[in-house]
Amino acid sequence: MRDVPGLPSRRTFLKASAASAAIAGIAAVPAKAEQKPEPVALTEYKPDCLTPSEWAFVMAAVARLIPSDGEGPGAIEARVPVFIDKQLAGDYGRAADWYMQGPHDAAASPLRGWQTPLNPLQIYQQAIPFFDAWCKTTHGKIFAELDAETQDKALTSLQKDEMKIAPELRDFFTILLANTKEGYFADPMYGGNHGMEAWKYIGFPGARGSYKEWVLKHNKPYPLGPVSISGERA
Amino acid sequence: MKKLIRVLGVLVVLGIVALLAFIFVPVQRTGPATQLAADFKPAKGQGEYVMRAGDCLACHTTEGGKPFAGGRAIQSPMGAIWTTNITPDKETGIGNWTLDDFRAALYDGVTPNGTHLYPAMPYENYRKMSEEDIVALYDYFMNEVEPVSNKVEETKLAFPFNLRFGLRAWNWLAANYEPGFKPVQGQDEQFNRGKYLVEGAGHCAACHSPRNLFMAQDGIDDTSKAFLTGGEIDGYSAPDLRGNNSASQKWTTEQMAAYLSTARNAHSTATGEMMLVVRDSLQYMTKEDNMAIATYLKTISGGQLLKQAPPIEVTETEKMLTEAKADMPLGPRLYLDNCGGCHFVTGKGAPEIFPELDGNSLVTAKSPKGLISVILHGAELPSTADRPMKLRMQGYDNRLSDEEISALATFLREGWNNQAPAVSAADVKAVRDLPKH
Amino acid sequence: MARTEKKKDVVIVGLGWTGSILGMELAQDGLEIVALERGHDQDTVPNFQYPNMIDELKYGVRLGMMQKPHNSTVTIRRDVNETALPYRSLGSFLPGIGVGGAGTHWNGLNWRPQLSEYRLRSYVEERWGAGIIPEDMQIQDYPVTYDELEPFFDRFEHVAGISGMAGNVKGKIIEGGNPFEAPRSREYPMPAMPTTWDGAKFAEAARAAGCHPFPSPGGIASQAYVNEYGMQMGPCNHCGFCERYGCYNYSKSSPQTAILDALKRKPNFEYRTQADVLRVEMAADGKTATGVTYYDYKTGEEVFQPADLVILAAYQLHNVHLMLLSGIGQPYDPATGEGVTGRNYAYQMNGGYTLFFKDEHFNPFIGTGANGMSIDDFGMDNIDFGREGFIGGAYWRSGQTNGQPIRSMSLPKGSPSWGAGWKQAVGEWYGHSMNIGSHGSHMSYRGNFLDLDPTYKDPLGRPLMRMTFNWNPNDIRMTQFMKSKMEPIAASMNPTSMQEGFKKEGAMYDVRPYQTTHNVGGSVMGADPKTSAVNRYLQAWDKHNIFVLGAGAFPQNTQYNPTGMVGGLAYWAAHAIRTDYLRNPRPLV
Repeated sequence: MRDVPGLPSRRTFLKASAASAAIAGIAAVPAKAEQKPEPVALTEYKPDCLTPSEWAFVMAAVARLIPSDGEGPGAIEARVPVFIDKQLAGDYGRAADWYMQGPHDAAASPLRGWQTPLNPLQIYQQAIPFFDAWCKTTHGKIFAELDAETQDKALTSLQKDEMKIAPELRDFFTILLANTKEGYFADPMYGGNHGMEAWKYIGFPGARGSYKEWVLKHNKPYPLGPVSISGERA
Repeated sequence: MKKLIRVLGVLVVLGIVALLAFIFVPVQRTGPATQLAADFKPAKGQGEYVMRAGDCLACHTTEGGKPFAGGRAIQSPMGAIWTTNITPDKETGIGNWTLDDFRAALYDGVTPNGTHLYPAMPYENYRKMSEEDIVALYDYFMNEVEPVSNKVEETKLAFPFNLRFGLRAWNWLAANYEPGFKPVQGQDEQFNRGKYLVEGAGHCAACHSPRNLFMAQDGIDDTSKAFLTGGEIDGYSAPDLRGNNSASQKWTTEQMAAYLSTARNAHSTATGEMMLVVRDSLQYMTKEDNMAIATYLKTISGGQLLKQAPPIEVTETEKMLTEAKADMPLGPRLYLDNCGGCHFVTGKGAPEIFPELDGNSLVTAKSPKGLISVILHGAELPSTADRPMKLRMQGYDNRLSDEEISALATFLREGWNNQAPAVSAADVKAVRDLPKH
Repeated sequence: MARTEKKKDVVIVGLGWTGSILGMELAQDGLEIVALERGHDQDTVPNFQYPNMIDELKYGVRLGMMQKPHNSTVTIRRDVNETALPYRSLGSFLPGIGVGGAGTHWNGLNWRPQLSEYRLRSYVEERWGAGIIPEDMQIQDYPVTYDELEPFFDRFEHVAGISGMAGNVKGKIIEGGNPFEAPRSREYPMPAMPTTWDGAKFAEAARAAGCHPFPSPGGIASQAYVNEYGMQMGPCNHCGFCERYGCYNYSKSSPQTAILDALKRKPNFEYRTQADVLRVEMAADGKTATGVTYYDYKTGEEVFQPADLVILAAYQLHNVHLMLLSGIGQPYDPATGEGVTGRNYAYQMNGGYTLFFKDEHFNPFIGTGANGMSIDDFGMDNIDFGREGFIGGAYWRSGQTNGQPIRSMSLPKGSPSWGAGWKQAVGEWYGHSMNIGSHGSHMSYRGNFLDLDPTYKDPLGRPLMRMTFNWNPNDIRMTQFMKSKMEPIAASMNPTSMQEGFKKEGAMYDVRPYQTTHNVGGSVMGADPKTSAVNRYLQAWDKHNIFVLGAGAFPQNTQYNPTGMVGGLAYWAAHAIRTDYLRNPRPLV
């Protein structure tokens, strides 16, 4: 016989002591969450897997992929570098779920999917020094030290593969960009989308998942801000 | 505390009186309520059915333990009462008990050596059971239950409750009525069958009746006004089953019967203790018996289906939730973020699956403990023959703080048509801090 | 060390939709049954529970509910001259894992094929002559008629709990339903779901163009529902997390909501998880199976499970793989055209338009997998194949399924893919676009098939299955036809801008972007043992105590999502086993 899972036992019979009588009000309580303590500044963050030079690159690259100026948070305010570090340190970075047995044909048509023998973390580890070296040769400095305009140029060259990167590293720009957007829009518990600012910016209510009464409110903007999986409100 | 001390005092006095009586009066054991024919044999399965009706298994079995081997702790303010081994094991169980011994335990709360049982054993109610059912149950325990050798811990309550003879006096107050069941003349068989099950083996009053000064059930049948008007167990409210706005009034008998046999109906679902009663006992009752119970409850609650407010009315609560304004107060905001997906802005949920919160007796119960407990830890419905799905609600203990749950619970108790007092963060903390299994 | 388990009457391989259905049906005959599921056990709570389930990164992007290619995948090549390469990370299609299978993470769209689809070859030959069938196209008739299947479609729809609006009940056309559907014996079990703004807009435009829009039918509960097993669904709240997710709200049809808790109560039914079937074992004479051998991940040993009846109820790819590994049916050889196992692998040909409306609000996060309005005006039955120059058809649908921002972020053509311009575009366009999709048939061809890969193996040493597949001109013509019909209807809605996504002539199969998990064929059903692996009761031609369920039975793919047909065929086969085979085990044809 089992009691309700997780519930205190209720198979009791005699009256317990009088219930407590404290009363709480409702109306005046604001809907904001208790402020969570601010996380450690990105400059103080200790990466799980990225080396200092890799970290510097990721910080610089995501700042251009989703810049801070204009409306909406940038990748830096969203703490995307933390997200990328944590993802690369985990199952995704290690390609734990993927079939990685050889033989590999990294030079096969891109239409045939992931064919490099490298996992995503290894691609970051090998492509960053390669790209930095290319930046130094072409633009005189490693990527993180270039000015924003030159960084944009360099990233465009990377996207177009103007430097003829090795086929094993071919997907570097694709995963860097994909991971950046993931970190921007994923639930904050993964380290990015800090304060759900990216969700607020576009109007995505996050993990509310409850809109029955709104289905037929056609062409009317939904007003309520997002909630995260852990219950943060904005 | 004050009340407890007062009760203690009364009991101590009674205990002294009882001690004196004990010296002069031998223990009386009640005989059969009716004389059965000498060749009476219970029908096949009758004994097990009576066991289910009486829910013996639930208390006399531990978590994962052998059936009926006892050893479950029933918590009381005076300490743990350990349930006994009622398998037919001769050393540690009831293998040596005669039918008269067995009946005395059910009717008088007395074991063969004269020891008084604590009234955690609901002999106040079992005293209503018919001789046929007693014999069938005895036959079941002796012949169908596997003997298990299991010496259970002895119950040791704090002084003066460790002096069991005090219970003798208590019994004079609580269980001194004529044994057996007397059908009500002028009521039909269905009503009387329901009454028999509710008042007797089903021991509904053990939770659903208030307790009097002496902690006895305030009335063991419907001739008492307080009978089934709601009780409290360990701070959890057991709802009123016959008063104004009670489920017996609001639900049809079919809906009540469905609730009893499947833990769910068009309005509500069974949580906590009641869920366990459905899981272990009521789901095994025949459809006719659950209809009989429902009919009885309907009759003693006035016999009418309560006219309910027309459902088309849109409450202010529903309007506010639907608007989903960015600056809404915390309680309703938490409702949309955590509850609305299943219970909806109407607070009406959906039949048999998502219970109504508007008008739900758990939500508006005098004690918010049950509501808080469900929000924190979730709930699970048992798999039953008619509704095999183990419906579960997840708990929110990780997602919501004490303050948040107090705001949410307060909103639930004040929202739609509900009117119940607010809940404090301290109330929530008290439930959160209870030890878990 | 191999261990032998106690013999059972029936062993079921895979506990998804078809395994659950067969388990439930056969358990009612008192048979001792064991189901073997290679994945983990899972249930609504805790596995799909709110809020943990609605995590786009974990389930939508990292595919937490899907099979891990590390353990199980295929190799893919576009033609026989190419070296197949492993499908190393999931993209184009997403097979599931665990109890409930793909039935837990589907979108819920539920259809019955149109009348012409059951007898496609005969239909084409009678109307236009065999001459219009391309030389390498291997389309076939189903060996069972719609009238025979109707009660079983009906049964599945009522078990699964489908919401929809009938358009043809016993030949009577009902306004507002699909007038082109095959006649059904009664209404859907639940009324149709309400639609979001995109579906409403599309329906209006389609109606104005003379088409016949109707609410999309799906396994999404529009109200509380109890099925014949006493299993339950709760009303859907349009949470916007259907496909790739388990439903946290008991609102989506799945083995969990429709069958499993009822099945688990049967004392003669048992299931074991993390039991990966390696092969079906055969009797010495090769005419019957004796049981299956599986790898038990819990103990790390091989286990032989003897049984009188073997039901292959895994996903289509895994059923065919198991047949190839076990020698069930002769493997198909494209060079000679001989052999049946692996023959007629087919897929789905989809396309669509995205429309942008600067000043309209779609609230894209309000959605369900089967949301919106559909039309069947360009379905199989309504197209003059001779005139248009292709064989096939499509249904169209508009109805947002989700607004998950990582995956569902449509931007107008020309928007930058990163930088300030991208950020501005996502702020400007999220919630201001809608789609119209064309969900098209896919024919079977001599060169599209499944066999065993000579090079790559899985961690248990099995050769991976090899998929040889590419797009064919017939289906490209079909989808281009849909584009030509859709363009004016889309334009009539006056969007700020619109863009198309239809495959063009010469398109090569790209395994990276998700397309659909409607992999069909490879164990096709037919009347002729030379061109089919199973007979009309899904019984293996050459081994009568093996039945092969699922979409592998489709001789070519229909224009619809396959689940309705898969469910209907499962009840059809279960009925034949219960009423005929069990009394006298033998080849039923």
